[in-house]
Amino acid sequence: MIDISRRALLGAGASALVLPRFALAQADNRPTISIAVQKISNSNTLEVLREQSNVGERIFFSSLWEGLIGRAWLDELKTVPLLATEWKRLSDSAIELKLRPGVKFHNGDEMTAEDIAFSFGSSRMFGDTPATAQGRTIPVRGDGIPTRAGRELPPEIPAVARRSWPALERVEVVDKYTVRFHNASPDVTLEGRLARYGSEIISRRAFAEAGTWFDWARKPVTTGPYKVVEFRPDQLLVLEAHDEYWGGRPPLKRIRFIEVPEVPARINMLRSGEVQFACDIPPDQIGAIEGDTKYEVQGGTILNHRISVFNQSHAVLKDPRVRRAMTHALDRQAIVDSLWAGRTVVPKGLQWDYYGDMMVPDWAAPKYDPKEAQNLLKAAGYKGDPIPYRLLNNYYTNQTPTAQVLVEMWKAVGLNVQIEMKENWTQILDRNGERGVYDWSASAPFNDPVSCIVNQFGPNGQAQQVGMWSNEESNRMAVVLETSTDHAERKKAFRRMLEICEREDPVYQVLHQNATFTAKRRDIKWKAAPAFAMEFRANNWGG
Amino acid sequence: MLRFLGTRLARALLTLVLVVTFAFVVLRLSGDPALLIMSADAPPEAIAAFRRAWGLDDPLWVQYLRYFGAILHGDLGQSMRDGRGAIELVAERVPATLALTLPALLIKIGLGIPAGVYAALHRNSWIDRGVMFLAVAGFTVPSFVLGLLLVLLFAVQLGWLPSGGQESWRHAVLPVITLGMGGAAVLARFTRSAMLEVLGQPYMRTALAKGVPWHVAVRRHALPNAAIPTVTIVGFMVGSLLAGAVVVESVFSWPGVGRLLVVAVSNRDLAVVQCILLLVAATMVTANLVVDLLYGVLDPRLRISAGRT
Repeated sequence: MIDISRRALLGAGASALVLPRFALAQADNRPTISIAVQKISNSNTLEVLREQSNVGERIFFSSLWEGLIGRAWLDELKTVPLLATEWKRLSDSAIELKLRPGVKFHNGDEMTAEDIAFSFGSSRMFGDTPATAQGRTIPVRGDGIPTRAGRELPPEIPAVARRSWPALERVEVVDKYTVRFHNASPDVTLEGRLARYGSEIISRRAFAEAGTWFDWARKPVTTGPYKVVEFRPDQLLVLEAHDEYWGGRPPLKRIRFIEVPEVPARINMLRSGEVQFACDIPPDQIGAIEGDTKYEVQGGTILNHRISVFNQSHAVLKDPRVRRAMTHALDRQAIVDSLWAGRTVVPKGLQWDYYGDMMVPDWAAPKYDPKEAQNLLKAAGYKGDPIPYRLLNNYYTNQTPTAQVLVEMWKAVGLNVQIEMKENWTQILDRNGERGVYDWSASAPFNDPVSCIVNQFGPNGQAQQVGMWSNEESNRMAVVLETSTDHAERKKAFRRMLEICEREDPVYQVLHQNATFTAKRRDIKWKAAPAFAMEFRANNWGG
Repeated sequence: MLRFLGTRLARALLTLVLVVTFAFVVLRLSGDPALLIMSADAPPEAIAAFRRAWGLDDPLWVQYLRYFGAILHGDLGQSMRDGRGAIELVAERVPATLALTLPALLIKIGLGIPAGVYAALHRNSWIDRGVMFLAVAGFTVPSFVLGLLLVLLFAVQLGWLPSGGQESWRHAVLPVITLGMGGAAVLARFTRSAMLEVLGQPYMRTALAKGVPWHVAVRRHALPNAAIPTVTIVGFMVGSLLAGAVVVESVFSWPGVGRLLVVAVSNRDLAVVQCILLLVAATMVTANLVVDLLYGVLDPRLRISAGRT
């Protein structure tokens, strides 16, 4: 473990800004930092289309993966030019982008339009799925499923890719530094989709040269400021500075993500100096950590809401009144106050302020109204039949205590909800057995409702893909949101989707906005983004 | 002697077959492998095709015979998460685990047996009481508690040793001590009891009455006879070399077989879990076999009686 002094930290940060390129080959005094995380990757891969998770966001951005359009992690998550320097609309369904010249992949190749077209092509993203996805759930061929040793795309990759890009028809190479994205239907969110998690660019040559798809997914070759040098699943991920990074020399020599499942162990590693950052700190530990003035805890609310999802076809839950009763039985503010020490908020439904004009300002989470919940249960003729509730053990911060509180609140209005602890996401979504309610979270990868409510609960959302819920009118509204260019119509469609998905035929209920907290040494000049992502470029180190 | 050896070997093989069968049945009953290999996002058609492709649609007994046949050919299957051979994955982790459990075993034997013998030879003295107090404490404090206490003291407060990971030999010190202290406590208690029982035997009184010096009587008569129960415990500890550090590996983020087992079980990575169980069973069975043979060496009566049956 390399111990870094305050002087070294400040010096390294300053040198990263002022050192000319010819100095790169000289002595490398940049620090190596270690970060203790609860989990490195759920899927044991580093491929953005496979590891679509909160923990994945942390290791991917901004260190490893980059898209054409990116986010200013430390500036209200605004969209900013990244691998594209400018873009313009050609029509409602097409956009042209100018690529940043001189961008080098980790293998030394220069990024060109061919890499962009390949990144969004059938070999890497879509398989043989059609570009006319709006309004229906994508069928994926089930025959010829390969072994994990093969080069074929795992079958979930096209499903995930089409969730992000339901109607992308093709990417046209105009010249070496110009590409055009052609959609099969009008889409006002193309820019947002380009900025979202899953739209990052890969090296075509590196993908072709990988022995198997899994080999690729363990060591993807991208344009990010750091490259993968070692990945031991469930143990360690080591990223190393990519000194040819287009944005300047990265300030850190290496970043080591160490998987430490236990919270006390992560905190102990921080306090003993073995790591400089300890992630996923529960709110009740913040006071104890900051009791020592050498350490501080950063973080707060992020673009992710904790939700629970309902199975519409469950014998009890098929009556929407029971689901509605469940939503009214919860005192969300009490959960925020007691388990989060008020460090997060109850959001206005499945939306965020950064939706801007698309936000529905007068919307709110279902009111805490036990009487209303009891009336609904009575009207539904609920007789106390058990409702299974699947969850993981503290995958989300405070997940288990929150679930216990929920069950008690439901019990108080007469609902018999029974917790079923599961060990992984596959078991959570398993179609076998009785599915009632399960824990989930929903993010907004870009600043439009399409990025969340349509992405998660539209025709190609996971809830419908795993057969939990469907609503014909909501699906029609999803298509409007995805394809209409009429702002007023889109806004109306979003409100209607909220009404259906949260009130009339609930598919989910929002619990609270998610928050993440990272403990660090106070003398390290670094700021946490309002996201799981951790920014380790020169603009956020040592300055 | 050959019959004695043959009987023990047959029992060992039967135990392995039972473990393999048990692991197969329990793991198949606890979840559908197709759902685990495929992502939760995979559509039903894909999952059905996968079941067909991998023979998961076949009756359980057909799958079992195929699985058993593969084991006989040295094929322990593929990891569902990694796409690599289960044996390859497990073999990668074995050195890390042995790096903890072998030194810990030395501590257990090197500390536990002398402490137990010494306590027995000084029965009811303050040394005996002190040793037994430590032994009871070491025996009853869970390893994760002891581990965290050691981390707080030596890593956080004193800063002498790292608290987790596997970077250098220094990272192994605290987990080895955590593992070693608990085992040493167990051995000390067993050794003391065995010694006290032997010291009270008539043949010890006879030896002393015949004028054999105390230290000679202890060395020639007490220690060999007290060794039999102690060897049993040591054999058990040797048998758990591969899987005896599950908790400690988790507390110290040590990437050994134990942590692999925890992750594999939570992900229902069947081939890996089965492979670990098989290896653990084989280690345990081998250790027990060696212990059985040692019984014969330590106590000729057992050898003779086995030869007669």
